[in-house]
Amino acid sequence: MGGNENPFGDLLQDYVLECLPLAEQVADTFVELERRWRADDPADAVIASLAGRLHTIKGNSAMMGLAPMREVAHALEDACGLLGQRPDRRNDAAAALLVTGGGLLADLVRNASPELDPAAADRYVERVRQWLASDAAPAADSQPERRQADRRAGGGAAGAEKAASVVRVDFRRLDAMLEVLGEGLIQHSALAEAYREVARRGGGSDEMDRLDQAVIALQKTLKRLESTLMETRLLPIATVFGRFPRMVRDTAEAVGKRVRLVQAGGETPLDKAVLDRLSEPLVHLVTNAIVHAFEPAEARRRAGKPEEGTMRLEAAPQAGRVVIRVSDDGRGLDERAIRKKAEALGPEGRSDESIPLRNLIFLPGLSTADRVSTLAGRGVGLDVVAGAIHALGGTIDVETAVGQGTAFTLSLPVTLAIVRSLIVEIDQERYALPLAHVAETVRAEPDAIREINHRGVAQWRGDLIHVADGGAVLGTGQSRSTPRRFYVVMAAGGKRRGLLVDRLVGHQDVVVKGLDPELGRPDVVSGTTILGDGRVACILDAVRILEGGRRAG
Amino acid sequence: MPVDNARTRDALLGFADAMDARDVADAAPAPGPELHLLTFALDREEFGIPVTQVREVIRVSEITRVPQAPSHVRGVANLRGRILAVVELRSRLGLPPAELTARARVVVVEVRGRVLGLLVDAVSQVTKVPQASVVPAPEEVLSGDSDYVTGVARWQSRLIILLDLEKALAPTE
Repeated sequence: MGGNENPFGDLLQDYVLECLPLAEQVADTFVELERRWRADDPADAVIASLAGRLHTIKGNSAMMGLAPMREVAHALEDACGLLGQRPDRRNDAAAALLVTGGGLLADLVRNASPELDPAAADRYVERVRQWLASDAAPAADSQPERRQADRRAGGGAAGAEKAASVVRVDFRRLDAMLEVLGEGLIQHSALAEAYREVARRGGGSDEMDRLDQAVIALQKTLKRLESTLMETRLLPIATVFGRFPRMVRDTAEAVGKRVRLVQAGGETPLDKAVLDRLSEPLVHLVTNAIVHAFEPAEARRRAGKPEEGTMRLEAAPQAGRVVIRVSDDGRGLDERAIRKKAEALGPEGRSDESIPLRNLIFLPGLSTADRVSTLAGRGVGLDVVAGAIHALGGTIDVETAVGQGTAFTLSLPVTLAIVRSLIVEIDQERYALPLAHVAETVRAEPDAIREINHRGVAQWRGDLIHVADGGAVLGTGQSRSTPRRFYVVMAAGGKRRGLLVDRLVGHQDVVVKGLDPELGRPDVVSGTTILGDGRVACILDAVRILEGGRRAG
Repeated sequence: MPVDNARTRDALLGFADAMDARDVADAAPAPGPELHLLTFALDREEFGIPVTQVREVIRVSEITRVPQAPSHVRGVANLRGRILAVVELRSRLGLPPAELTARARVVVVEVRGRVLGLLVDAVSQVTKVPQASVVPAPEEVLSGDSDYVTGVARWQSRLIILLDLEKALAPTE
């Protein structure tokens, strides 16, 4: 495998950074499973929670050509898949097998290198295979040809020399700078508020004018500092796209297909924090497409299409956001099959023809292919992808045409760090609503909102839209004596909905802070921020509210 | 599952009586190793946690509600520019809810690298108790979900319930 200074090294480092925490979580979870089973707790939810992580580790390992990790992750998936369905096989031996595998996987990922000795992994995979087969019930098929020729690190094209004036900075420093900037912005609003208060009590002197100018100048400076810092955090999306040529090739080869990857817009800039969380959903989308969307060569020829399929990965800036399109020229989604399957899933997927296809395919558990392959089809489906995109404040949409292909369109914010927001008040509490999803604010005239089928409905720009009560959506509404005075029309992904609020407080650039794990995963809140008066406000997740605020999984 | 609190208290008190005889025997002031505790009041009990886990104690200021957060979460507060999740320890430990008084405080703790605020009825003091005064909590106390009680310190006519915060604050899922 030769020299160490290949671009593969950086990718490998990214791989470890991304997969090691996942692998360690998996290992920890197995230990937890063992404990629970001993306590006679079937822990179904714990088993189910592993699928996504193992799938990601497997996908990323495949992408890097790291066969031992891929095989171990796959073996663990098989084992978990069986254990998920067969409570009778959950015993000490099974738990020990999983714990060993989890530890092995974490070790392999931690010491990831192309020269890794596959012997331990091979032995373990064999153990799992024997365990799977040691039962009358049919176990998962084993792949006869899992021999993987060792691969040389692919193209050196990524190694373009950078100018000498470029310095490397640990991204955590940029995060720290952002924190400080955030405090500066908050202190500025406090200062501005104090100034207004003093001015209201009777200012008007020269000193007050100078103070006013200083406050305004400070704001402009902070704004410039903010945009410079935000630019510093941007990286071209090519840093994520760069992994795909190899992954598409390996994945297509593994399922016996010929697929060509076409990329465009790799120079489109995105905040690194967004990029870091974008690669996983993109891997899922591309893998799904290769495994399920492309027809076999024979079928493509008969349909008059080139035998080689084309996978497109395109990015472009659009109105302050970034739009990414992942498309294939495969068979297209089988709408009938999807509706049928959705119906089987229960009331959420009623086969009401008026429900657009895009609302169905992102339902949990909906995957039209029942086949199990090395790379996909384990039900880590589009719902997971949609969840990840929504968590980034993005939207995902799909278009498909039978026989012509499918295109997923993702719209993402350029940055997660600072979000221009509308501050509103609902039940004495303030909330930030990202302006990207605010179409208009409307004064709620007494007769403007009528009730149809127990839902508030209002006429807005010629259409009827649903207007929900803010307190009801957030679960803070008590019986109210005075009606709320405004509603905010939110829009995303073709959906619109009004949200009744008590007060419109103003616009503010808010510095996004995360949600402590202790807070659980509230559907309608995507983060927190600190307002000018020092109080904490929750940032509302407009996309989830537009979806109806129901838990998606 | 809420802990049966009356039962727990009775068990503790009964247990305390039973321990008195032993106390007399152990009364010699043997200056052994000591535990350094922050103690606080919750529902008429005194609880203790190691001071090493305590970052600071703050007054209850503006706490912002978080929609759809678990019921034991009071909300989030601004701790010098950092967002602090505030947990109602009463609710977390299955004790009945109560109105906040002026004595209520938020104990800021660091557990496994995570910083959290614990809302308590009142903070008593930082105190040292001899390791020797700690006895395992009686079986009755340990039943059910209350495995976060690591022991009980009997010291100068006080009964301090020692909390294992890692267990008490473990994810509930």
